[in-house]
Amino acid sequence: MNKYNIWIHLGIAAIIIGIAALAGQIRNWESSYSTPTIGDIPDTIAEKPIAVERTNTESEPEVLVKFRPEVTAEEIQRLTAMSNDRIEDEIESVQPLYAIDDLDNSTAEDVANQYREMKDLVIYAEPNFEISLDDPSNTSPAQSNLLREDVSKVEPNDPMFGEQWALRNDGQNGGKAKADIDALKAWLKTQGSEDIVVAVLDSGVDYAHQDLVNNIWFRPDNIPAYQDDELGIVDDKYGYNADANSGDPMDQNGHGTHCAGIIGAEGNNGKGVTGVNWKVEIMPLKFMGRGGFGTTKNAIEAINYAVDRKKAGVNVRVINASWGSTQYSKALEDAIRAAGEQGILFIAAAGNNSTDNDRRPHYPSNYDLPNVISVAALDRDDALASFSNFGVKTVHIAAPGKDILSTWLNDQYREASGTSMATPQVAGVAALIVANEPKINVQDLRKRLLSSVDSLDVLKGKVENAGRLNASMALED
Amino acid sequence: MSFNQDTAVKRAKEDLASRIDVQEADIKTISVAEREFPDMSLGAPADGELSAQMISSGWVITLNADNNDYEYRADKYQLRLVNFKQTNHVVVS
Repeated sequence: MNKYNIWIHLGIAAIIIGIAALAGQIRNWESSYSTPTIGDIPDTIAEKPIAVERTNTESEPEVLVKFRPEVTAEEIQRLTAMSNDRIEDEIESVQPLYAIDDLDNSTAEDVANQYREMKDLVIYAEPNFEISLDDPSNTSPAQSNLLREDVSKVEPNDPMFGEQWALRNDGQNGGKAKADIDALKAWLKTQGSEDIVVAVLDSGVDYAHQDLVNNIWFRPDNIPAYQDDELGIVDDKYGYNADANSGDPMDQNGHGTHCAGIIGAEGNNGKGVTGVNWKVEIMPLKFMGRGGFGTTKNAIEAINYAVDRKKAGVNVRVINASWGSTQYSKALEDAIRAAGEQGILFIAAAGNNSTDNDRRPHYPSNYDLPNVISVAALDRDDALASFSNFGVKTVHIAAPGKDILSTWLNDQYREASGTSMATPQVAGVAALIVANEPKINVQDLRKRLLSSVDSLDVLKGKVENAGRLNASMALED
Repeated sequence: MSFNQDTAVKRAKEDLASRIDVQEADIKTISVAEREFPDMSLGAPADGELSAQMISSGWVITLNADNNDYEYRADKYQLRLVNFKQTNHVVVS
């Protein structure tokens, strides 16, 4: 090798080393960019994000990112700005979950990947694939037709279905479109099951009503008649009447029949209305008389009955309690706790005094038990109903409860309002979840209901999860 | 028994007369007004009573005897005396 060649080889070597060093640095830069830690997030952002121009029909790709709890809101703000993204929404019910818009020309999957790589900061990230069955503006014409076709398969033929805004609110009678529990989309997955028993603890139920008769529980032959140590044997063919200690829970008031219809008026039978469940087993438990009120003792007797039947093999999963008072009862609390120990969810009305249950407790909704859900009422405009109690610590969820059409005595139908009417919407969705996941336990069932909601600003500071019940989301396991 | 406005007022007067020991003729009807109540105890629960949380309609009946006002509440199925000696009373149900 001559002197000239040596310099050529040294020059080539230097270039190779330089390229290698540059490549390594680039990898470091990439690495430090794609997987930052909290310490890597700058205190300030030098420049504002630059938005890419998009056409009117082109939406910004959105991703849902759940950050680790130790990452603060300020750090998330800086991190998204650093990535030239923008926080679109903070989803309070699943804190700290953020909907983030990309302002570059990236796909949603690419943006999700970018956040997934930040393992020290992010628990998960996923594209927000919007699926809306009743908003064609968000879908292509082909998708829209497909969704309409899907929904048409589960639109019940009950003639009054169009008036049931709680199940599908398309703005009828001046309401706000989509201010509903998204029942149609839920029914694509399940319409309920006759294996699930929901006890309606109330004024009884008109078990002969044309829209309920096929969904009323009756004691199967292999379950022995109810026997109470003090009260003796009761032939509980259709449930239990604690007011008269009999096996005839016929409703003389109408309130219990209304609640039963919301949970499970037979769907798609060409009659009247449909319940949240097309098929379910309603167990009528009567403790309130013709006037619509009853005693604590009889309420406890009826709960004891439900617990006994559960132990005997009846699949009681939910008790609907559309009643209450401001008087605390340790005995009632203990009875509800015992129901929880048997895997029974207890869903209770928050009350109708327009008052704050955090300050002025209402029972049984205020019992701090792991199987109790307290329910506030919404109107057809997604506003908290003027009568509804609230309480950011003690009222857990809101559901439609004003101008609710349902079954009434003697094959009639009637609109009624109250947290009484909001409660069975939640009980109904609970039954749908159990139909879809029969082995779900009471804790997970409660958690699922409370975490599957549409967040509403009007409920912030009023209801614990600030959300409206959503049946469709609740069925996404 | 099923009430209308007139029969509810009549029954309220009978009840008040016996409670405070006056003649029914000495009891004046101050007002009778339709009202929506927050629940089926007509917003006046008796001790230990639990009531359906449905908005219900009925009447507020204000009577006067011996220069004292007394409030009754009624609907189709019941009559209540409100806050009489610090307690709500179910008169008829």
